[in-house]
Amino acid sequence: MADHSSHDPLAGIPFDRVPPSGRYGAAGEPGVTVSTTDTPFIALVVARNGFAASVAARLGRAFGVEVADRAGAAISAASTVVGTGPGRFLVLSTIEPDLEGTLRALLGAEAAVSEQSDASVAFNLTGEKVPDLLAKGALIDLDPRVFLPGHAATTVIAHIGVTLWRVHESGWRLLVARSFEASFTRFLVASGAEFGLALENGTAGRG
Amino acid sequence: MLIITCPWCGARPEVEFRYGGEAHIARPADPSALTDAEWADFLYNRTNPKGLHAERWRHIHGCGRYFNALRDTVSDFFVTTYKAGEKRPDIDASSGGSK
Repeated sequence: MADHSSHDPLAGIPFDRVPPSGRYGAAGEPGVTVSTTDTPFIALVVARNGFAASVAARLGRAFGVEVADRAGAAISAASTVVGTGPGRFLVLSTIEPDLEGTLRALLGAEAAVSEQSDASVAFNLTGEKVPDLLAKGALIDLDPRVFLPGHAATTVIAHIGVTLWRVHESGWRLLVARSFEASFTRFLVASGAEFGLALENGTAGRG
Repeated sequence: MLIITCPWCGARPEVEFRYGGEAHIARPADPSALTDAEWADFLYNRTNPKGLHAERWRHIHGCGRYFNALRDTVSDFFVTTYKAGEKRPDIDASSGGSK
């Protein structure tokens, strides 16, 4: 019988280690590019009872985006506000090291704010084949005709909790708990190998 | 797989949810005034109907919120879902499983 082990893109990679940066699977132009090199500052905002609309409006004014109290991603050049549940918002910023302090000053007693920068790994997925890759693990409809840029969902992919949103036509962002980085990267590599996958890892946490 | 409609997130797969027991069971305002039998009734005795059942569900792998559902315990059909705190919709058993 033929030895199929050489076709396993993850052969020889310990299951508890993040697969190294590089090319996996089919040769040629990669159908999917996965990058975790962007390490945004992240904070979770939970509006206190009755303040969800007010908190959404304040976040919108402060970050120059349209924020509503519903599932969705409001994206500007430096920051993103993602609705993850009623009155719950994840705020990402590339330029605000003290995001938690900024949000506390902005929202006062209207919301609870917690620092989450190292809690999650942000996966940037780009390429034509991203929806085909995600379809192998997602249970919700992520068809590009249905799940449009700016749409967001908190769901389960490959049995791992994920908050994801579509950034633009061929760009998707996924937040995964950091302890699942190795497992989730393995899912991405195994599922994306048939399209050719380029992986670029970031550094592990900010320390 | 069952599709359950979270009142906040919309239609989602069953695996994102956890069951939360029978809905609309109010904790007694003054437990110390109850007999042991009444307290046991509050703690343990449930209606367990054949047919429509109002029950709590939690969208644990999504928005995290509890909500209520009317489910037919025979067909497993979810007749409707509604937010926690809202009254049980006035739907009788004959409309269950008809969709």
